[in-house]
Amino acid sequence: MKTLRLMTVGGVIAYRALFNWTRPAIFVGTLLVGPLFQLLFFAYLGRQLQVADDRFYIVGNAVLTATLACVFGGTLAVGNERRYGTLGHVLLSPRSRTAVFLGRALPYAGNGLLIAVVTLSVGATLLGLRIPVAAVPGILLAMAVGSLACAFFGLTLGALGLRFRDVWVISNVAVALLLLLTGVNVPSASLPGWMVSIGQFLPITHAAAAARELAAGHGMAAAAPALGREALVGLGYAILAAVLLKVFETESRRTASLETL
Amino acid sequence: MLALGTLAHVKQMSRSPFEVTIALVVPIVQATLAVYLFRAGAEQHRLLEAAVGAGLMGVWSSVLFGSGGAIQNQRWQGTLEMIMLAPRPPVLVILPITVATGLTGTYALLATLAWGRILYGIRLDFVHPFAFVVAAVVCIVALGMFGLLLASTFVLMRNANALTNTLEYPIWLVSGMLVPMTVLPAWTGPIAAVLPTTWGARALREATTGGPVWPAVGVCLGISLICLALGSVALTYVERRARAAATLALA
Repeated sequence: MKTLRLMTVGGVIAYRALFNWTRPAIFVGTLLVGPLFQLLFFAYLGRQLQVADDRFYIVGNAVLTATLACVFGGTLAVGNERRYGTLGHVLLSPRSRTAVFLGRALPYAGNGLLIAVVTLSVGATLLGLRIPVAAVPGILLAMAVGSLACAFFGLTLGALGLRFRDVWVISNVAVALLLLLTGVNVPSASLPGWMVSIGQFLPITHAAAAARELAAGHGMAAAAPALGREALVGLGYAILAAVLLKVFETESRRTASLETL
Repeated sequence: MLALGTLAHVKQMSRSPFEVTIALVVPIVQATLAVYLFRAGAEQHRLLEAAVGAGLMGVWSSVLFGSGGAIQNQRWQGTLEMIMLAPRPPVLVILPITVATGLTGTYALLATLAWGRILYGIRLDFVHPFAFVVAAVVCIVALGMFGLLLASTFVLMRNANALTNTLEYPIWLVSGMLVPMTVLPAWTGPIAAVLPTTWGARALREATTGGPVWPAVGVCLGISLICLALGSVALTYVERRARAAATLALA
């Protein structure tokens, strides 16, 4: 129970602290309007090239937009502690650092889910996509699983911030690669096999596939395998993030390089 | 002063692993995405156009984040007050930074073209090669001046870099860098018409595929000069306002 409290309350406090832009206009502009234009960009490009229909782009990109909050949030969760000189205090805590950091991913997953829901709602309204009402709970579940997997992926990248100097390069490149490798914008059949294979181990790939199945009205039975794979990917990144944080923390203590930028 | 300032900032940015990596890697990923999309859409003959468009997207990202970050970086480094105290008009101090971001952005254009040629065998058969070079130079300078206009508004904003995140995709979309403007809603037309990015993209596309390059170059240059004038006035205004309110370092 205490660990659960540590993860949730600690995560929420860290989330609030990291969002030092408190003005709603900036939050809306950065995290809601920007992703919406990303969806519109690819939807119109897809329409012009006639690669796939609107559902493919709108649903896929809506799930993908969670990456903005999740990947950068996960990176910030660790990177900013180092930048502002508070990492040592966190690592000196007598509580489980694994729980502390894994808890930090949770608010970003919630944030990612919010972005995905808003983007899908507005995008579908603007572009005239009808989604069956019965599919909505399933799509929400797919988005939630995708956001959580993505948040743990972001935390894994953030863990690299304990070891590498400029983790922003990694997170920016990662977000760009997710656009390409998750099959959200280019159908898997049109990508080389090795890109598709990498995509299988990335977050969002399976969540987007599941959401598309649901939006097409194929039901939860059709989407469940993809949802299961997305959950497994998320679990894998959660374990990887925990291991990397532990290893890099030990290494940082040993070499006294904790606060070295 | 403009030339030396631009050179100094280009050198500084070129020594930043973050700036260089982002300018090189992200546009290449976008170019790869564009190539596979255009291939999937049976638009093989437009791959060069796609590579140029993706490169220009990279230039815009560089200018956008560079202009937003330029002021913020000076603020974080504690040098914003010093450069604003220089006995020169603020525009002469800030313009080199924004033009430098455009020049650094040429990495993106060159990288996408080289990537397309080497990996995907895209032949660099520009219909008007000379006009393409001229259009690219004008486009980069124009974006630098547009960046100045953006930067002038960023002086007042504490989290200017947050606003820049919002402006990346809209400008890519509305300017027709990769998505033809004909497929966009009609209301985007007037917005596109006043953006230098639209005319810069058009000039590069016409030089690549054939068409009247020079009118687009001329309009791009004209709009960018208006941006320069507006940016200059706005920068002077917001600088005075920030001084009066004593918020230059805190805004």
